[in-house]
Amino acid sequence: MTQPVGVSPVGVSPEMAGMHTPEARINKHKADWRGWKFMWPFAVVFVFVFIIPIVYAIYISFFKKQMIGGTKFVGLQNYQRLLVDQQFWSSVGRVALFTVVQVPIMLFLAAAMALAIDSMKLHGTKFFRISTFLPYAVPAVVSTLIWGFVYGAKYGLVGSFNDFFGTNVDVLKPSVLLAAIGNINTWEFTGYNMLIFYSSLSTIPHSLYEAASIDGASEWQIVKSIKLPELKGSLAITVIFSIIGSFQLFNEPSILQNMVPGNAITTYYTPNMYAYNLSFSGNQSNYAAALAIVMAVITMAIAYAVQLNSMKEQMK
Amino acid sequence: MSAAASARPAEAELRAREKAARKAEKERQKRIARDEAAERKRSEKAGFANVNNPRRSTLMTILCAIFAVYCLFPFVYLAINATKTQADFTSTFGLGFGRTFALWDNIATVFTYQNGIFGRWLVNTLLYVVVGAGGATLLAIMGGYALAKFRFPGRKAVFAVIIGSISVPGIALAVPQFLLFAKLGLTNTPWAMIIPSLISPFGLYLMWIFSEQAVPTELLEAARVDGASEFRTFWTISLPLLAPGIVTTALFTIVATWNNYFLPLIMLKDADWYPLTIGLNQWKDQASTAGGQAIQNLVITGSLITIIPLVIAFLCLQKYWQSGLAAGAVKE
Amino acid sequence: MRNTKKVIAATAAVATLVGLAACGSGSDANANKGNADKAELVFWGWDSGNSMKDIIAKFEKANPGITVKFNNTGTAEKTSTALSNAIAAGNGAPDVVMLEDPTVTQFAVTDGLVDLSEFGADKLADDFAAGPWNKLQYNSKPYALPIDSGPEMFFYNKAVFDKAGVDGESIKTWDDYYEAAKKIRATGSYITNLAGTSGDYQPFTAQIWQAGAQPWKVDGEKITINMTKDEGMQRYIKFVQKLIDEDLVDTKTPNWSDDWNRELNDGTIASLTIGAWMPINLMTGAPDQAGNWRVAQLPQWEEGKEVSAEDGGSALAVVKLSKNQAAAYKFVEYMTHGDGAQTMADTGTFPSLKKILTSDSFTDPTTEANKKTNAYFGGQNVNEVLSEAAQRPTEKFQYLPYNPFAQSAYGDEVSKAYTGEITLEQALQNYGKKLAEQGEQQGYTVTVK
Repeated sequence: MTQPVGVSPVGVSPEMAGMHTPEARINKHKADWRGWKFMWPFAVVFVFVFIIPIVYAIYISFFKKQMIGGTKFVGLQNYQRLLVDQQFWSSVGRVALFTVVQVPIMLFLAAAMALAIDSMKLHGTKFFRISTFLPYAVPAVVSTLIWGFVYGAKYGLVGSFNDFFGTNVDVLKPSVLLAAIGNINTWEFTGYNMLIFYSSLSTIPHSLYEAASIDGASEWQIVKSIKLPELKGSLAITVIFSIIGSFQLFNEPSILQNMVPGNAITTYYTPNMYAYNLSFSGNQSNYAAALAIVMAVITMAIAYAVQLNSMKEQMK
Repeated sequence: MSAAASARPAEAELRAREKAARKAEKERQKRIARDEAAERKRSEKAGFANVNNPRRSTLMTILCAIFAVYCLFPFVYLAINATKTQADFTSTFGLGFGRTFALWDNIATVFTYQNGIFGRWLVNTLLYVVVGAGGATLLAIMGGYALAKFRFPGRKAVFAVIIGSISVPGIALAVPQFLLFAKLGLTNTPWAMIIPSLISPFGLYLMWIFSEQAVPTELLEAARVDGASEFRTFWTISLPLLAPGIVTTALFTIVATWNNYFLPLIMLKDADWYPLTIGLNQWKDQASTAGGQAIQNLVITGSLITIIPLVIAFLCLQKYWQSGLAAGAVKE
Repeated sequence: MRNTKKVIAATAAVATLVGLAACGSGSDANANKGNADKAELVFWGWDSGNSMKDIIAKFEKANPGITVKFNNTGTAEKTSTALSNAIAAGNGAPDVVMLEDPTVTQFAVTDGLVDLSEFGADKLADDFAAGPWNKLQYNSKPYALPIDSGPEMFFYNKAVFDKAGVDGESIKTWDDYYEAAKKIRATGSYITNLAGTSGDYQPFTAQIWQAGAQPWKVDGEKITINMTKDEGMQRYIKFVQKLIDEDLVDTKTPNWSDDWNRELNDGTIASLTIGAWMPINLMTGAPDQAGNWRVAQLPQWEEGKEVSAEDGGSALAVVKLSKNQAAAYKFVEYMTHGDGAQTMADTGTFPSLKKILTSDSFTDPTTEANKKTNAYFGGQNVNEVLSEAAQRPTEKFQYLPYNPFAQSAYGDEVSKAYTGEITLEQALQNYGKKLAEQGEQQGYTVTVK
């Protein structure tokens, strides 16, 4: 019963210590274990909730379960199949495109709002702070339902727009569908990112501003030389989390699926939807596990390439 | 008896002093407001803005207002539709009111439908938020503090391991997680919901950054020299300094737990333990079940009710950001 | 040293899980029968009629040693997902489970359910309507008993039909239906919606079933797929392609979407061919059309015939992992064949028990439930029509053992025919290929014709 819990404090630390960097060795002091006094509760739960299931997923990705014939070891067969699986690669391409377009727009809006709210130049700062954040409080199920209504070309707001102007706009047609989903995500998560930027701006000591203004710095100069550098650190992390988030796109498209004509959202629209359908309606959870592992590797590679270096520097 | 008697004059004195202090504080606030107004006027004339007290910009407010409309109009939709009956919901325009105003009826029905199970879901969600999000915040604070203030073996790898782990699509982990929990007999219990909620990678990161910035290492050294234990130092010196970060982290973990959907869907099969999101989704699905009754009006009203506690939590917590500015100022 | 430790830690973690996963499968069948009179049962299912609580209370009263804990698992899809997860975990499974008919075979094949003939359920065959009963057999043994059924019906909006000058009652064949479709289209409405999404899969199987089609045949570990050359399929493809080409059906609105309800509610969609459980969905989903809807028998492929088909329907099964199988069966029998079946029927579930279908109370227009339904249908005696359909003969039809896949892949492939990208024949051909691939992945020997 308690076994997996017991594995962690001892089980994790050597594993992590194994990844020593040269810098740690230069540090001649005896290993300072005090940090683990604070770190271990997180580590224990993390191992239980993430590490063990991941190890298990890797393990089952080498097997194949069939309705006829049961489970057998197949080595790398699932991975080989994945390499030539067009449905999989089309879904990867789709989320990659989504990431490249949606993430910058969202983060730009979030940073702009954070700076505006932090500038204290708005009438009703509190109102803007909460109204930007509020969409994040709405469960994905509900927000997708609401936007689905807005998008409806017949009965939704888009429909009323069409009636009024005599146009024929359809935001759910396959060519713009991805943008429509991107809008839902932007609506949902701009506030979340804004808050991260905002709270990092709020750690800037005010004496810094005072000093700058005494020196005659303009507001714009203050933004440029004090605030933006401060945002850089949070930017790295929001980028990484946003990339991970869009690569795991699932809720919005799968809830929209039933509202979109012509089945433009297939069961393999995103890698996560594909994994879900393989696992739960396709009885191929082994293949789905292989897919998950490959997706993790791709996501990590991209996240590292984009941001992790700058982040490492920042948090030495 | 005698002790109480001697305490009385002291008490009265205290109260008087308190009163005087409050009065002085009020006056001070007034003075500040007056000064601020004057300062604003002056800077307007001089064309120089004081960063501490900048001129308000109407243009910027308008730009932000446009964005606020974008953020808020779906809520208008939600609020309007919560006032409709099921019949009006399917037959009237989405942003217009229905033929009957049924908000109160809807709210009453939400809380009585299926023997009032919605109330149970609400209580469950609160439990998950208090224990799950509270625990997640605590773990994140401790972990982030450790990462920022100690150079322990494995520290450098922690973040890479976390990023790597959350890059694995959660959907694919759901089955192994389910199997693990099922083997330990934890499915269908509140633990299935609470334990996974305890991990907030983003919270950990935030607390890391905050601890780095808001807790001066010299202060810790001083406390250690005074012989305080690590936990005491953490509790009495670091925690207060971390307030704004804690609030932000708490908000994130609360919302994440409140809106958690996928894992409870797999883990819980007993409607008595459902959180609100699962319950509402079940109601939504009822309309698309053969022979099921469409109750979109209840789904919409329920969603609205679901959001309200989060708004309240946000409003209550946001005042701590002000103190956060002060905490940030400690670091010079 | 460090590496060794790492390896040990990792191995320990995996071993724990694998060890955990290994136990809990396969156990002596007889040992799990348990005491038929004393048990605490867990029952998963959905509760569209909000009647489970009462029925269970009555059952517990009649069987004082047995208690039943009902867990509302939401939809059919969620229930079967949850069941397969619990079976994989080897614990946490319910004793009794409600399943949509087409998924029963899948669980029977993978040894998740108990063969109910062990408890004598095979002797009840004649008591149930043929359609639902036949769907629940695997290797000629019943693996579940039908709790509600859905003979395919023809629901139409009389107000819209009148406007177009069409008499709904006179539509006897699919040719009549086609002629009516043209007239209705001229008024701006559509006779129905067909979008080829996974939500259309069940009406699709019902319609090809009625057409006598056999797009797939399962024989033990062999599957033959004949999606487009089969005679019944040909008939179906030609007919539907004509409707698409001439813009006689609304191809933009998926079943069960919000728009769908709105179009049913404002008369844009003038009729549906769907299961007999539809009245309650119509009454709450399209309240503005109260008094306008009517129900009739399904149009026929050949004049003068009276062939029916099943759309939806659900059943109760006993889970193999249950330690109380005998008591669980007692409950299943009570719900489907005993007094519980009557209560279910009284609260709006469409029965599959012959004696209820033919009973006077079922069609009695003075009962509270019937009054409400009949009023929505303009005073028609709805249950009389439905009861007749349920007793009509059905063609032989069998679902694929991997039906959930068949349903989701249907949306992926067949919808392309409704957006006009390819013809229905091509789309179904592609669909057949997908089904064949899945069959091979699952270890079947598949032949594609």
